[in-house]
Amino acid sequence: MVRLHFIKPGLWTTVQDNGRIGYQNFGVPVGGVMDKKAAQQANQLVGNSLETPILEITMLGPQIIFQGDCQIAITGADLSPTLNKQPISNYETIHVSSNSVLAFGQLRQGCRTYLAVRGQWKIKPWLGSCSAMPFGDKTATPQSLIQKDSFIDVQTLPLIAPQRTALEDRPVFKKIVKIALMAGPEWNYLTLRQVAHLFSTTYKIHKDSNRMGYRLDPSLPNFEFSSPLISSGIVPGTVQVTNEGQLIILLLDAQTMGGYPRIGNITQDAINNLAQAKPGDSIRFEFKEDK
Amino acid sequence: MLIFKPFGPQALLVEWEQRIALDVHGAVMELYQKVAIQNIVGVLYQIPAYCSLTIGFNPELIAYQALLEQIAYLDRFPLAIGNIPTRQLSIPVCYESSFALDMPLVEAQTKLDRATIVRIHTSTAFRVYMLGFLPGFPYLGVLPEELKCDRRSTPSLKIPAQSVGLAGLQTGIYPSDAPGGWLIIGRTPFVTFNPNADDPFLFKVGDSVRFYSISVEEFEQETSKISPSAFNNSK
Repeated sequence: MVRLHFIKPGLWTTVQDNGRIGYQNFGVPVGGVMDKKAAQQANQLVGNSLETPILEITMLGPQIIFQGDCQIAITGADLSPTLNKQPISNYETIHVSSNSVLAFGQLRQGCRTYLAVRGQWKIKPWLGSCSAMPFGDKTATPQSLIQKDSFIDVQTLPLIAPQRTALEDRPVFKKIVKIALMAGPEWNYLTLRQVAHLFSTTYKIHKDSNRMGYRLDPSLPNFEFSSPLISSGIVPGTVQVTNEGQLIILLLDAQTMGGYPRIGNITQDAINNLAQAKPGDSIRFEFKEDK
Repeated sequence: MLIFKPFGPQALLVEWEQRIALDVHGAVMELYQKVAIQNIVGVLYQIPAYCSLTIGFNPELIAYQALLEQIAYLDRFPLAIGNIPTRQLSIPVCYESSFALDMPLVEAQTKLDRATIVRIHTSTAFRVYMLGFLPGFPYLGVLPEELKCDRRSTPSLKIPAQSVGLAGLQTGIYPSDAPGGWLIIGRTPFVTFNPNADDPFLFKVGDSVRFYSISVEEFEQETSKISPSAFNNSK
């Protein structure tokens, strides 16, 4: 058994897995890792199944003392990780001996870092998932929202031979993130001029952006819709437009219902890439056909 | 007449005539229940709403077009789904001023006094049209036109759990403490969302709900009676 003791929690550190699928009829957000690709790569590097929980770390890393030996892997954003003050690399299996301290430093690129630990995580799931429920009743997933002096226990497994992710499979962080957008249910609410705006504007990610959704600036020009919509379902990746014309890309922790026009949906790859863009970063939409 | 729309790479949206009414919602519920019992490989979840049904699927297991054809077939095929009984729930609400945080705003907007507002709210049979906004938050309709209210222009930062509110032609119950814009006219002692219970959600889509008025004393008695796992709230 290895115990992770969080000396510092970091800015927003949560336990995530593939989310809480099948309870959306009760209004439960899907949840789960924001950058699925990076999370899967981390679990693969330590020989875990892809369903194994993982830590999602946002922009400012935690500080963790490991009580027990284990193998870990770090993927996604480069947060200058160190083990006992020695720099370590992302995208490879790393052996951690008992009483080591894992810390993070400057955010070099990306937004979300994933930390996989080899073994079975002793986290109590809620509705089939260990993903943190950050709102509503927080007692649903008390172990999954990391705070100062939180603990996570992982039942360790026999060591595997260390691995590395091939260079070509690692992310390339771009200054302007390209987001593939498909037409959504209310696509025809847009005028030609607004469509032109959508695909010719470099949008900035607003500071009020998180796992629920990313808000974009500037707003669509002259957006007005005639009659309010009757509330209807929302899925992760839905792009909606508010009454003021602001675009919001709804993400994994978004609510399941909305009343704004859903003009588009972004692809799973686009969600992965967007998860590595932070407030202040820039994105551009590219049109993607349905098929 | 159903309309099918692609809703991103992993969902199909089914839409009915866009109005809030029991007959349209009945059609949504019928298809929702048919899809649920059919257990279609690749279907991951469903979100029934007033006049739409969102069906999430795994594109590695079923293609959009194949799913669309299955759903259209299910819609046409007669199944004895209509026999599923509607649950009748009676929910006590204390409308006294300590809980009815926005009653003055509601009185001003509706130009009705508190007694009339309570009388209308407790004499209407509501339907749970959908759950959303927060886990376990029921959208109950249709609110009589006399009680129609606008949401707050600036949301309250913290509305206490179990608060009963109005918004447009809807009424709803906050399942947990949350920010929100609904105008609060009372509070129920019933726990409507308990993540630690085997079944965390009191309300299901399609339930029939009536409210009845209780005093502060009755509210307190009821609160002390409820154990965390008590979820048999039919009166």
